[in-house]
Amino acid sequence: MNYDIVIIGSGITGASIARELSRYKLNIAVLDKASELPAGASRANSSMIHGGFDDKPGTMKAKFCVPGNKLWHSLKDELDVHVDECGSFVCAFSDDEIKHLELLLNQGITNGAPGLEIISGDELRKREPNVSPEIVAALWSPEAAIINNFEAVNAMIESAQINGAKLFLETQVTGLLLDDKGNIRGVATNKGDFTAPIVINAGGTHSGEIASWAGDSSFKIIPTKGEYFLLDRVAGTFITSFLFSCPSKAGKGITVLRTAEGNLMSGPTATEQEDPEDRATTPEGLAEVLKGARKLVPNFPVNMNITTFAGVRANTESGDFEIKALSKPRGFINAAGIKSPGFTSSPAIAKYIADMIKEEFADRVKLIPDEKFIPERRNIPRFLYLDMDERKKLAEKDSSYAQIVCRCETVTEGQVIEAIRRGARTISAVKMMTRAGTGRCQGGFCCPRVAEILSRELNIPLDEITRHGGESKLLVGKTKEFLLKKEAK
Amino acid sequence: MNNNIDVLIIGAGPAGVAAGIGAKKEGANNVVVLERDWDLGGILQQCIHPGFGLRTFKEELTGPEYMHRFIKQAHEIGVEFRTNTMVFQIDKDSNTVWTMNKERGIEALNPKAIVLTMGCRERPLGAIRIPGTRPSGIYTAGTAQRFVNMEGYMPGKRAVILGSGDIGLIMARRMIWEGAEVEGVYEVMSWPGGLRRNIAQCLDDYGIPFHLKTTVTKIHGQDRLEGVTVAEVDDHMTPIKGTERFIECDTLLLAIGLIPENELSRMAGLEIHKVTGGPVVNDLLQTTNPAVFAAGNVVIVYDLVDNVSDEGLIAGSNAAKFALGRLNNNAKRIPVKGGENVRLFSPQFVTGESDTTIFMRVTHPIEQACRVFAEPGLYSQRLRYARPGEMNEVKIKAEQIRNLQDLNEIVIDIQPV
Repeated sequence: MNYDIVIIGSGITGASIARELSRYKLNIAVLDKASELPAGASRANSSMIHGGFDDKPGTMKAKFCVPGNKLWHSLKDELDVHVDECGSFVCAFSDDEIKHLELLLNQGITNGAPGLEIISGDELRKREPNVSPEIVAALWSPEAAIINNFEAVNAMIESAQINGAKLFLETQVTGLLLDDKGNIRGVATNKGDFTAPIVINAGGTHSGEIASWAGDSSFKIIPTKGEYFLLDRVAGTFITSFLFSCPSKAGKGITVLRTAEGNLMSGPTATEQEDPEDRATTPEGLAEVLKGARKLVPNFPVNMNITTFAGVRANTESGDFEIKALSKPRGFINAAGIKSPGFTSSPAIAKYIADMIKEEFADRVKLIPDEKFIPERRNIPRFLYLDMDERKKLAEKDSSYAQIVCRCETVTEGQVIEAIRRGARTISAVKMMTRAGTGRCQGGFCCPRVAEILSRELNIPLDEITRHGGESKLLVGKTKEFLLKKEAK
Repeated sequence: MNNNIDVLIIGAGPAGVAAGIGAKKEGANNVVVLERDWDLGGILQQCIHPGFGLRTFKEELTGPEYMHRFIKQAHEIGVEFRTNTMVFQIDKDSNTVWTMNKERGIEALNPKAIVLTMGCRERPLGAIRIPGTRPSGIYTAGTAQRFVNMEGYMPGKRAVILGSGDIGLIMARRMIWEGAEVEGVYEVMSWPGGLRRNIAQCLDDYGIPFHLKTTVTKIHGQDRLEGVTVAEVDDHMTPIKGTERFIECDTLLLAIGLIPENELSRMAGLEIHKVTGGPVVNDLLQTTNPAVFAAGNVVIVYDLVDNVSDEGLIAGSNAAKFALGRLNNNAKRIPVKGGENVRLFSPQFVTGESDTTIFMRVTHPIEQACRVFAEPGLYSQRLRYARPGEMNEVKIKAEQIRNLQDLNEIVIDIQPV
């Protein structure tokens, strides 16, 4: 399989690069080892579009965060992604911390972040009545926003696909292919070779390992776990924006926020670990989150918790992104070590990489604008958010939109069928594309129904349906078959 | 035709079907029961084990058999059922009920009275925040029951059951019958969540170990569940170090409690009780919205379906009275208070318009002779014991209420004697 560009990883970084490059007449392959998107750090994070004050001027993070923020504010309409433009507050509990707010404010101004302002604790409590009475001041960032990260990654990669990029799931890169001059020729995977003169490493927590295959040992990924609580939508009136504590060396600390879909959420911890795939929550981590949440919001209603989860982010020793082209092997580009504010930065990183290819790799691939590029991508209709007339029209046109599958999030059968049409193959994929199973019963009601629809639409037996690919089958066989088999033994 | 419905009932489980019968018997003309599933009966459709209807029919029926008797009666007296019809919105001020159905599309109904009979749902894993991974193989007992009894598929081969609610106990036995192994049932409390008879018939008879004051503290496995860690807990329900034990299993079934399902009740602007999780109701099963009634597990989670059906009949009958303008709008509203041993109860108000039963659960077991009573001097009954897993009742006659002119509060409690 010959391509112009191979992108390893379809998290928000890889997907954004694919979408940006799909503006040009290129054959693009995006490879991801997961069975559904998003899978890595893009799946489990704070879903924040950062204001751009937190990053030290001169760093890659500072360079991309503010432009990325601006791009998302327009991309949300272009890609039809849910963004809550709610702003964020960094909360100070002491005079020392107020000094820190001033530092962040100045940093933000240098980085070009607009609208920053330090407000009093009382002013904050007017806007967010449930925050701690001990907060004395807060840095207000009006441009900060919260995004539906599940939707965003799927929207980004879908837009790339609409414009010709090819996505290969369950495709794990096992090595790099070099030509006789030692330059990039492609990648080897469990599904065969993908050849291309340019390979972009957007491998997230695995990006360090992939870079090392290219002989680049200039950076090391330190997988860093972040644990979270996710609460019922009913608790979503408690806090209506994004609250940070003053950042420490360990990271931005425990935050409390309302997600783009209206759930209350808190996290993350920042625990360094060896294993990039260890996403288990821990008693210590969850206790730390709860403590941090209660510091900001003393009456944090943890009894309305609906799930806990953990993500692993690709921290680097330098603390900065690792974005560069290697001189040898030529054709290998790192978009590595992308962690917070990675989601925010990704569209800006994508533009930077496209420019890089234009300027530095014209000998390997030509970027000719595709005049047929379609910037718009429409989401699967979200029944919950439609007005009654729109709902009626939809149900008249297609009766599967008059059948609820997920009662917590009011997701219709029509939405599930459309998600499958767009590539969903697992319970989790349907969940991320439609929100079926994200509500307060966490799939107790809709999981069997989604499994039935997957089975019917894909024409595969019910007991072959998986939760998230691999060995994660929901069922182990038919009842009587199972018993008879056992008796035969 | 949508605007001449006298009584609209949401949910055709045991409470809803009985409410339909109750409304029709009271003389309501047009009684419609909406059901989101393709068939009637609610959760009892998948409860194919016997043990239902001992009180009502003096015999042991399976869930579908029990429901059939009510459904047959409802059909005979002209209750209209609409299946595959989901209510997705109730407008607060107009009481407009929005429904969807593949054939009928989206419709707005404006009944004279509404009965909420949506039942309850199972608490999910997230509610108890167990650390670990999120593999497949973790189901609420009811979801697993649906897979086995309705779809004919096995959720796993070797199960651990967390929580001792009745569905968990029933599913322990079912898994054994279907050839799976059940390693044990683990309950964090020091008393069982379900009925004693289910512990005897579903666990003891099959040699399934039952561990009190023990819980699952960690979940293992990336794709499919590979095992759980269990540990004993102290009196504060904190796991005790050194008691952890790894159990290999591919299935974890959860029977950790039921929650009244009240999304629609909230939309309708009803006051929801903090402890029961259901709408605040009076003894007529009227909610804080006079045109809206509620019955069954949507109000308070019952042990026995017989009680659910009884309450359904009452709610349906009173909803019909309301629709026909026969309900006393100036009824008394005497609050019921729970004493120190009462965890939850329903109804929360008594009118004295009819005889009433107040259902209650104790906070802690009382394993000695005790007395359930309602003050001032309204009811007293001796009991051999009182247990949280088994509801208690207080019965009060309408004339008792009417005779006490200055009655301003009823206190119910259970105390050792």
